Amino acid sequence: MSGRDVVSLLPMLMVAGGAVATMLVAGFWRRHRLAQRVTVVGLALGFVSVLWIDSETPRHVTTLLVIDRFALLFMGLLTAASFTIAVLSTGYWDRKGGRVEEFYVLLQVAALGGMVLAASRHLVSFFLGLELLTVPLYPLIAYSRAEDRSIEAGVKYLVLAAGSAAILLFGMALLYAEAGTLEFGRLGGGLAPAGLALILVGVGFKLGVAPFHLWVPDVYEGAPAPVTALIATVSKGAMFAVLLRFLQMTGMTPSLEAALGVIAIASMALGNVSALLQDNVKRLLGYSSIAHLGYLLVALLAGGIDVAAYYLLAYFATVLGAFGVVMALSGRDRDADDLADYRGLYWRQPGAALVLVASFLSLAGLPITGGFLAKVFVVVSGLRSGLWMLVAALAVTSAVGVFYYLRVIVTVFRKVEEAPPSPRLSRAAGAVLGIVMGLLVWLGVWPEPFQRIMVSAAGALR
Amino acid sequence: MQDLLWLVPGLPLLGFLVLSLAGGRLSRPAMAAVGTGSVGASAMVATLVALGFHEPFRQVLWEWMRVGEFAPTIGFRLDALSLVMILVITWVGFLIHAYSCAFMAGDAGYRRFFAIMNLFVAAMLTLVLADNLLFLYLGWEGVGLCSYLLIGFWYQDPANGRAARKAFIVTRVGDTAFAIGLFFLIAQVGTLDIEEAMTRAGSISAATAAALLLGGAVGKSAQIPLQVWLPDAMAGPTPVSALIHAATMVTAGVYLIARTQALFALAPVVQTMVAVIGAATLLLGGIGALAQRDIKRVLAYSTMSQIGLMFLALGLGAWPAAIFHFMTHAFFKALLFLAAGSVTLSLHHEHDIFRMGGLWKSLPISFATFLIGAASLSGMPFVTAGFFSKESILGSAWERGVGWWSVALVGVLLTSLYIFRVVFIVFFGEAKTSVAPRRDVLLTLPMVALAILALVGGWIPIPVGVFEPHVGVASVVSMAGIVIAWSLRAPLAFPGVDFDGLYERAFVRPFLRLANAVGRDPADAVSFGPAWAAATAHRLASATQTGSLRWYAAGIVFGGVVLLAVVLWW
Repeated sequence: MSGRDVVSLLPMLMVAGGAVATMLVAGFWRRHRLAQRVTVVGLALGFVSVLWIDSETPRHVTTLLVIDRFALLFMGLLTAASFTIAVLSTGYWDRKGGRVEEFYVLLQVAALGGMVLAASRHLVSFFLGLELLTVPLYPLIAYSRAEDRSIEAGVKYLVLAAGSAAILLFGMALLYAEAGTLEFGRLGGGLAPAGLALILVGVGFKLGVAPFHLWVPDVYEGAPAPVTALIATVSKGAMFAVLLRFLQMTGMTPSLEAALGVIAIASMALGNVSALLQDNVKRLLGYSSIAHLGYLLVALLAGGIDVAAYYLLAYFATVLGAFGVVMALSGRDRDADDLADYRGLYWRQPGAALVLVASFLSLAGLPITGGFLAKVFVVVSGLRSGLWMLVAALAVTSAVGVFYYLRVIVTVFRKVEEAPPSPRLSRAAGAVLGIVMGLLVWLGVWPEPFQRIMVSAAGALR
Repeated sequence: MQDLLWLVPGLPLLGFLVLSLAGGRLSRPAMAAVGTGSVGASAMVATLVALGFHEPFRQVLWEWMRVGEFAPTIGFRLDALSLVMILVITWVGFLIHAYSCAFMAGDAGYRRFFAIMNLFVAAMLTLVLADNLLFLYLGWEGVGLCSYLLIGFWYQDPANGRAARKAFIVTRVGDTAFAIGLFFLIAQVGTLDIEEAMTRAGSISAATAAALLLGGAVGKSAQIPLQVWLPDAMAGPTPVSALIHAATMVTAGVYLIARTQALFALAPVVQTMVAVIGAATLLLGGIGALAQRDIKRVLAYSTMSQIGLMFLALGLGAWPAAIFHFMTHAFFKALLFLAAGSVTLSLHHEHDIFRMGGLWKSLPISFATFLIGAASLSGMPFVTAGFFSKESILGSAWERGVGWWSVALVGVLLTSLYIFRVVFIVFFGEAKTSVAPRRDVLLTLPMVALAILALVGGWIPIPVGVFEPHVGVASVVSMAGIVIAWSLRAPLAFPGVDFDGLYERAFVRPFLRLANAVGRDPADAVSFGPAWAAATAHRLASATQTGSLRWYAAGIVFGGVVLLAVVLWW
């Protein structure tokens, strides 16, 4: 490994260094703000170094990792999302109280795992990254120890994730038995179909697509809001990145396409239908994520890597906006996850309400938000590839979905006689939410600059 | 200079964003400064652009999205037509904003008022500058939304909310036609770029497209049969009425037809329809104005009738004349509204003209400016702007036949009749109310500026031979109207044309009756069916969420087995 290899690993090193530094600092001074600042600095440095090492790409670092534009794009996305979560969750943890420094350590380790996934081109780094991402999630989901729901969700996730990881590992073993190698690029050709299917089970679990989605609502509801945001963005985004690269390098088979098509349709249908009359906002967002991962699979099947990347960017911004508001409104004893908590939000906190409304409009896919254009691009690439069934399913199920998104928006504007007291946004959180909302609108009206980035990232995979 | 074009709609939009997002922290003078300043700066930029204007050009900022051939841009196009439009919109809009600073002083919704007014101007500028019909539609809808918000500005009174909804719903009928027209154009010519679509329009069924666009124009411009919303739109504050009637909103339809005139030229039937609609609205609006007691409603009917005159010109193919009249109309109609606003402001918001009287002494500036506006509206020969624009329309009507010309002539007679009737009733005779004159330089300056424009605004181009005999006839007719007006100062007994009652009986009641009659029959299954299916599916899907870990694990195993089966036996 040469010095330049080390340079090209800088983003990961920064985040890893941040995690270690946070741990050390927390060992000596148990101060929330200090841990938060170290984390924010580490993640910011990680993001900046992504931009800085762009000229070094593509670069193979050992046989495990490749730092190319695609990996850098996702590293940037993951660090930015983690940064946003770190800033937005500060007030949340302040109100919760207790020892919260470890949250930041685990957050950074999970982000690091996601970055490894985005850069992996080898089954070993794939599995390592996956575990590095998943293991911190167990304690994170159960972080609110005083709440039964949190513990329950943590245990459920632990058992199911461990089980599905075992299945995934078995699939990898089958592939190895067939090909005698673990590199994505050399697995092609006589790929063992059974091994591939088992790997898909593991990936499908992490993505939360049907029929592996049953854990999603329970975990989304039980986990503290910042952790839910982390699962919705970093965990799923990184997993999708590795899936894109894996399938691009091993090649698709017709049977695999059929299997993914079935998964996509089932996810879109089940996700949207299950969310319809949901009164718990976190559960609702969980169901919505199932549907959105289904849309993403349509982009993947259409071969639109840039389209999928654009969708993920828009989805990240949207989900962070929505969960940012959930975090901002959550109090000491429980998260603001009941729809009733949002009744008349506009009349109490117009700023937060505006962000929430923009996010939900984007989730529903209405114009001048990023969600609209992202969906348009998915539909166009699907039609170009002749995926009529999938596009038809997408259209019908999104139409069903508009109902529950609008239901939340209507609630936000309802007038209430006496409003439940809600915490005020901190200045930093307000600024970050403002940026997220600006990005959401930008993605909806001026896609070109981002599209160029996505196309060049997708080019790295070809 | 030309590169600054995007700032023309951009600055008012910025003003809206500042006022709505950060406006809570501004003081009231700062709000007024942002609200008025943004439109003023936009007017400056528009003037700069106009000074450097040599030939039509486009400024494409970026492509919004690309779907096959269909790639709408965020782009502007400036030619003579849109240049006139933006100059009038920004300058008249600026004067109205300045007037509002004083008119709305003391209103609790000061910030909301300026924010929406700015958005209104920005939307209208987008509408007239857009280089493709989709972007134009964005401005179109923005104008509709803002008019709804402004007509219902004093929403605490349910009547105002009703008027706002009425305006929104009635224009929506036209908007739907317009939207279908856009879909039709995409399907037929594959593009919404205005220039492209106009050159390719020859190959399609132009009559259908033109008729659908006409539907949209009729709604926004309050022409028969979609004119009923306009008089009720007076529920908004007076500056709003001035803005809607003079510079924005109602002229959108005129602009749309002028912009797509190539399409209308291919469909002579539809073009004649435009002229017929315009002529009918011209006459009915004039008759309606005679029957009103509310000073603002007189002006509302007057607008309807004047836009009818513009439609008549468009229908006769004289679109430069129509746009010329749009310009002078913007001056004198804004002036009339502002003058009327200053009168009502001094009379404790009294709107009934028969409770006014003898005001010329106590409100000399309002009197003088209203008189100038009225003179310009009725086309007093040579000294007013209205004369030149009206004559250019009458001239083209003369060329198309004496029939069209005589209809327009009746319109001229009615116009000077109803407006001078108002002048005589309000400003002459004996005083009936106590007057508390409001003197504010911000109220008078815009009125004076507009009064000057209403006098000299027609001198710039003089496209008609003004000494032909038919011009003399028209002048005599409009003078005659004034004379008749003097003898018609008493309240008139006839109720005007009751379109509201007609629509109530012809559409609303039959529709409600039909809806009640078929309330619970199988036809409803079409709409209730999907809802029921979705709810049932929701129950079934929810049943799988048992919360039991075993069941979740079983789900994963089930999925694994299915996947294995698919890949092994496909």
